[in-house]
Amino acid sequence: MPVVDLPAPRPGGVPGQETGQGAGPGLETVLVGGREISLSVIDAGLACCAVEVAAALRQRAALVPDPGEAPAAAAADRVGSGPPGPAGEGVLHVLVVAGTVTDKLAPLVLQAYQALPEPKRVLSFGACSNSGGPYWDSYSVTKGVDQFIPVDSYVPGCPPRPETLLHGLELLAGVTDTDAGGAAAGAGGSGTGGGAAAAGGHTSGDTGSQGRP
Amino acid sequence: MAAETVATVVAAIEERLASGARCEAEGATVTVDVDRGAWLDLLTFARDELGCDFFDWLTAVDEGDQGFAVIVHLYSIEQRHHLLLRTLVPRGEPVLASAAAVFRGAGWAERETHEMFGVRFEGHPDLAPLLLPEGFEGFPLRKEFMLAARAQDWPGAREPGEREPSERTRRRLRPPGAPEGWQAR
Amino acid sequence: MAGPVSVADLPQGGDAERPGRSRGATGGAATAGRGWTTEGLPYRSASTDVAAADLPARSRGVIGLLEENCTVCMLCARECPDWCIYVESHKEPVPGSGGPGQGRARVRNALDRFAIDFSLCMYCGICVEVCPYDALFWSPEYAYPAAGVAELTHERDRLREWMWTVPPPPEPDPGAPPLPGVSPPGDAGPASGS
Repeated sequence: MPVVDLPAPRPGGVPGQETGQGAGPGLETVLVGGREISLSVIDAGLACCAVEVAAALRQRAALVPDPGEAPAAAAADRVGSGPPGPAGEGVLHVLVVAGTVTDKLAPLVLQAYQALPEPKRVLSFGACSNSGGPYWDSYSVTKGVDQFIPVDSYVPGCPPRPETLLHGLELLAGVTDTDAGGAAAGAGGSGTGGGAAAAGGHTSGDTGSQGRP
Repeated sequence: MAAETVATVVAAIEERLASGARCEAEGATVTVDVDRGAWLDLLTFARDELGCDFFDWLTAVDEGDQGFAVIVHLYSIEQRHHLLLRTLVPRGEPVLASAAAVFRGAGWAERETHEMFGVRFEGHPDLAPLLLPEGFEGFPLRKEFMLAARAQDWPGAREPGEREPSERTRRRLRPPGAPEGWQAR
Repeated sequence: MAGPVSVADLPQGGDAERPGRSRGATGGAATAGRGWTTEGLPYRSASTDVAAADLPARSRGVIGLLEENCTVCMLCARECPDWCIYVESHKEPVPGSGGPGQGRARVRNALDRFAIDFSLCMYCGICVEVCPYDALFWSPEYAYPAAGVAELTHERDRLREWMWTVPPPPEPDPGAPPLPGVSPPGDAGPASGS
């Protein structure tokens, strides 16, 4: 069988059909606690966590606001979200990093972060992007995406349930631009709903959050 | 069926390479160990004469003092037999002729083997790193490459009733999956 | 033989003190730490979401620690593939039973620190399975995001709080063989007595 002369693969896609920078991360707009959040999801490395994020985003009825519906009314349907935030605060851009970030992929995640307009936050979804997860001792895995971008919300799990994405976003929605210490208030109100007393050990004073630039 | 073709394959290889090859057949797989001087010749022979038109993978195994074993898996789509070709390159001089001219698909496999083990493939069009980031030092899949875990304190190194790991235990403590000779810090 | 002692009798919330009295059916300081069960535990969810969601039995959300059962054998810390369990302890003398000066004095391990780093944890359950004394339990709670990665390391007090969210064990599947020590399904049996 003769050797077939195929063109070598290269970035940019099929010659003649290049799409410039290539497809960007998916964009979704969701409503959390009365505030519109524009989600930019980067599907990093392995896709296990990305599948759960995709499942969460498919629950559109609970998350995405109906154009004809007032934000406060939509938020009231969200169990455990607390009172809706002040309306008209504007859109918050959140980069959701879901999946294992390798050292080779890290510059692209950084690019995706830098491409986000302000106000922006980062939500780390799953053990691999929190800290490297089960692959923390690998030679090629970045030990947590917070090694090179500031992360505002860490969602634990391997993979986390789709519902936890919403809890992580509620944590972010409680943090305003001007209130760096607002993370404490956000943590206290996040998703524990009526059972907050049972989770009495939940630390509310100790945030350990990354410094905001 | 596959059994007959395997027998003919074995016979053909042994005839072609005379004393330079050792052949073993198991099921539909023929495993051939060959000196590195006959590497390209064997690959070309497998592709042209033995009907092995499908190149599956190429990789290496760190055999310690013996060097690196470079292994190629070929498959014949029509005759349905597998071919595992192995050769040894010495540790001090890990050089082998590149198979990229014989099988185009070996190009990237050799790039990966080069960056992971340090085996240099002569005649390869572009032996640039494939998976590792720029500036990475060392060859990760060699046995002496230290994982990050080796430099960390293993939480299980403490004995019951201790706050810090001490030397007084007589029990051999190793984390799950750690090889022989692993020392808990 | 008296039935197992229920965790429901333990003080809930805050730091647990070891009860000074006998350890129930297992009897005596020699078997210190074992024998507590979650039977009769008033299960309540920390999150209304989790209570409302129809989660499957044995769902893995978070791990709770029952310190009373822990003898600090270190098996969980050793078997964890991620090295995310941190256990530190010291030895304490236990006077012999029968009063001061009577009976051989023994030594028990007292926990100083038991922490699980959930930023590393991959929820494999090896620690829960390997624990010989049933000190670790699965809870289906999944809503505990954090603003800082250090918050994802849960210490003893927080791991104890998760115990109150551990659901009762599910019923055996229909047609399951009788479990050793437990009556066949559908029968009240001695396990529910005290």
